[in-house]
Amino acid sequence: MGSSLKIYLTRRLLLVIPTVLGVILLIFAVTQLFTPVQRASLYIRDIKQVKSIDEIIAKYGLDKPAYMQFFTWLSQVVQGNLGWSQSIHMSVLDALMTRFPATAELALYAAPLTILLGIYLGKISAVKKDTAIDHFTRALSVIGWSLPSFWLGIVLLAFFYGGFGLFSPGRLSPWAEALVRTGEFKIYTGLYTVDAILNLNFAVLLDALYHLVLPVATLTIINVALIMRVMRSSMLEQIGKTYVVAARARGLDEKTVIDKHVTKNALISVVTLSGLLTAGMLSGMVITETIFEFKGIGYFAARAATQLDIPAVLGFALLTGFIFIIANLIVDLLYAYIDPRIRLG
Amino acid sequence: MSKTKFWSAEHPRIKELVFVLKKMKSSPLSIIGLTIVVLFTLLAILAPVLAPSETGRDPYMMPRTGYSPTPQPPSPENLFGTTEGQYDLYYGVIWGTRAAYRIGVLVVAVSALIGIVVGGLAGYYKGVVDEVLMRLTDIILAFPALILAMAFVVAFGRGLDSITLALILVWWPSYARLIRGEFLRVTSEDFVEAAKAVGCSDFRIMVRHVLPNTIFPLIIMASLDIGSVVLTAAALSFLGLGAPSGYSDWGQIISLSRNWITGAPGNPFAYWHTYIIPGIFLFLFIIGWNLLGDALRDILDPMIRRR
Amino acid sequence: MQAKALAENEQLKVEDLVVRFYTYEGIVKAVEKANLNLRKGETLGVVGETGSGKSVTALTIMALTPTPGKVEGGHIYFRRSTGEIVDVLTLKEEGLLKIRGKEISMIFQEPNAALDPLYTVGDQIAEAILTHRLPEMLEKVGRLEGEETNGLWAFLEKLPFFKGSIKKRLLNKVVRQEIVELLKLMEIPDPERVVDAYPHELSGGMQQRIVIAIALACSPTLLLADEPTTNLDVTVQAQILDLIMRLKRKFGTSVIYITHDMGVIAEISDRVAVMYAGRVVEVAPTMEIFKNPLHPYTKALLESIPRPGSAFKAIPGTVPNLVNPPSGCRFHPRCSYAMKRCSRETPELKEISKEHLVACFLHGGA
Repeated sequence: MGSSLKIYLTRRLLLVIPTVLGVILLIFAVTQLFTPVQRASLYIRDIKQVKSIDEIIAKYGLDKPAYMQFFTWLSQVVQGNLGWSQSIHMSVLDALMTRFPATAELALYAAPLTILLGIYLGKISAVKKDTAIDHFTRALSVIGWSLPSFWLGIVLLAFFYGGFGLFSPGRLSPWAEALVRTGEFKIYTGLYTVDAILNLNFAVLLDALYHLVLPVATLTIINVALIMRVMRSSMLEQIGKTYVVAARARGLDEKTVIDKHVTKNALISVVTLSGLLTAGMLSGMVITETIFEFKGIGYFAARAATQLDIPAVLGFALLTGFIFIIANLIVDLLYAYIDPRIRLG
Repeated sequence: MSKTKFWSAEHPRIKELVFVLKKMKSSPLSIIGLTIVVLFTLLAILAPVLAPSETGRDPYMMPRTGYSPTPQPPSPENLFGTTEGQYDLYYGVIWGTRAAYRIGVLVVAVSALIGIVVGGLAGYYKGVVDEVLMRLTDIILAFPALILAMAFVVAFGRGLDSITLALILVWWPSYARLIRGEFLRVTSEDFVEAAKAVGCSDFRIMVRHVLPNTIFPLIIMASLDIGSVVLTAAALSFLGLGAPSGYSDWGQIISLSRNWITGAPGNPFAYWHTYIIPGIFLFLFIIGWNLLGDALRDILDPMIRRR
Repeated sequence: MQAKALAENEQLKVEDLVVRFYTYEGIVKAVEKANLNLRKGETLGVVGETGSGKSVTALTIMALTPTPGKVEGGHIYFRRSTGEIVDVLTLKEEGLLKIRGKEISMIFQEPNAALDPLYTVGDQIAEAILTHRLPEMLEKVGRLEGEETNGLWAFLEKLPFFKGSIKKRLLNKVVRQEIVELLKLMEIPDPERVVDAYPHELSGGMQQRIVIAIALACSPTLLLADEPTTNLDVTVQAQILDLIMRLKRKFGTSVIYITHDMGVIAEISDRVAVMYAGRVVEVAPTMEIFKNPLHPYTKALLESIPRPGSAFKAIPGTVPNLVNPPSGCRFHPRCSYAMKRCSRETPELKEISKEHLVACFLHGGA
């Protein structure tokens, strides 16, 4: 492994620490906007403790100076205590853990679809620049990007579900829900499509997929624009470069030049964005989950917010921050893998 | 250096403005964007004329023609019909334009201001100040806008003021980064060295030389941001965290339609007006500003490069 | 037909070439009726400042005019290795693919930019070889196949599934050998290691050798060199120049060498063509051009070469705006000998004495 790669990786991994601290610090700063009584709920692990708020305040020094509180809170977070969510009567950590699979499932389908479709559309848009196809795809992308996700979701629901009874909201139909609750259906991952395959239950698989259609469509329509634009401009940037002329000068046909050289170089820029997009999806699509009643962490956070459930919302924000940090790390590592200039230094 | 009158045709800024407008003519999408934006601006300005409010009431609250929950279709009385709770949609979407501009412009303007100050400080003092401020912006930018805004709103409480403040806190970092970047770029250029050598004070350099050069990128970012800010604000209102029920806010109005998307028995699209109409307004507003912002970027970017 | 377009000993002829670029600022008249001819085996030096149109002309010879450029007139006659004479500008993609990389090749000014950073240099040389010399390589594979004595492979080869991959493996081996030989020819040390190197791992000089290797991989009849040494260190420049000339002699390639450096021209060209603002203004054998420059621009160019002891003489004026070029002779605003006629009419390239052509009213060119 080249020495500059070692340096790059080490530096990158070390950078995670201050960033994580920074995220925690920011959320902590938000907690300081609350009164000690409100903050007490961040330290509670189960419902019995709600009675003894004053004890909690004393125990964790919630009326002491901020910097002291930071360390107490930090130690709680590190132990996994994110507080008690009164909106659903569970510890915040449990709530997030139980709801994360739903969000993950949504992201599992929406992210690859969005990324692949975006890359494809961006590519043909760039190759056929200024033709009808280009204008058409660009128009679609502006429309998709400008669509409010909640409005698109509602319109789709109104049309398909309201109009034709298709694609009802929720993750599963009532019969499937009932089945899943029983012991017959073993939950391995929490992702219904994956579990259905593992259980060899194709009826549930189809039902879960059926319920994924509209939310995935909503997410894709809106986000594909982003990937498409970056891919398009990335490709256009590469097409003007000398190595492309040189490749043509070698006698390579246009298709090979585009597929083998231009696209590969253009994809490098798209990697970062794809990583961020996936992270965004894993952070819970608050709006989409709410509209389609997909009980993921976004749905949970939205309801918690309306009820001013502080620990829930803050815990959710914290989780989101971490997801992004990890995603950025993975993206940077990917870069080191695909770009020989970084890999071999 | 001669001092050309600002409004004469010779002033470089006017020349640039004319050039920009001319360039816009050539792209149909930018014309559409410009038209939409102009129309909405007129709509916002003329709101009290088009949809007069009763004196004494908060003009932003939609008038009700009753209290029954079931929305009523468009009629001569209610041009666009009513939504749940009998709020007049026509009034709501027109004043919603004003509300959108209010929050959009406010958030963008204040964020830009904060960004200029913070970014200017970071770029000017460099060193530790720069590092600390940039780490701060990094952290804030690490969060999706909506989620961070939600966290702030939970702290501030619900309401439009809350979400305005929350959005400002979320949006200023990108302006700070922009200004800082431009600052560093400009101060590395020779004419700043020259100005310093002549004895210009640092503050003077900042104001007279650096700031004017940052206007273009700032304009581009602001015009692209208004759409995003209004979108996020609408989302927050939709979730019930922003505008109170009955307020003329597009997001809030759309949330009132949620119970009616399945329609009435026998007529699945009976209440189409409750979600289609406010949604169209919101969508067009966003797309208009996005198109305009895109067009400005396409035109101004090469001009920035050429400088 | 076009059989008469080229004389017996001519390799390439650019006739009245017109190339225009359609940009936002207007129509850039980059090349306005340029004329060049190249004889078999000779090195033609093309000299000119930035904006003279020399690079555009070179790229157009391979029909690779960069967008938004359009060829709007003229012919480029080229004699193929088959003897057939074609007008490059009339060829379709199919025909062009057979010529590019095989009969006409190009080496570039920035070797780092000319190589794809994501592929090894070996991969990129292999592209040229596999595109044009595949039958030859497959033949070698065939011979190798017969020699494969390893029992296991011989057995596996009978199976349909493995048959393809064995061939592939052998093909890779054969091509790799070819590449190593090529790198040795380029005087690249440690060729086995370099084959698997990525462009950024090599120095500028090495990268340029790779670019040359790619260009010469299929023994082209015409090599277009677009300022290949300008961006290299001075010491490396001499080496690369030397290499190019030796290879040229070895392969018998005709070369069009583009540069703005009169010193290089003096060293390597047989004949010189001087371009200014999209036109060829003077063509002559090298000695003749240095001894007896006729066009005022050529004279000014030679005089502007810094010499120890003498004052620094720059050419007055600036490079012309090609969207609104000067009327008539494009050099007239900067010319100390300009006459009234020069701003009204454009002089054509005329043969004044043996082998010496000028486009100037001072020397006929009516």
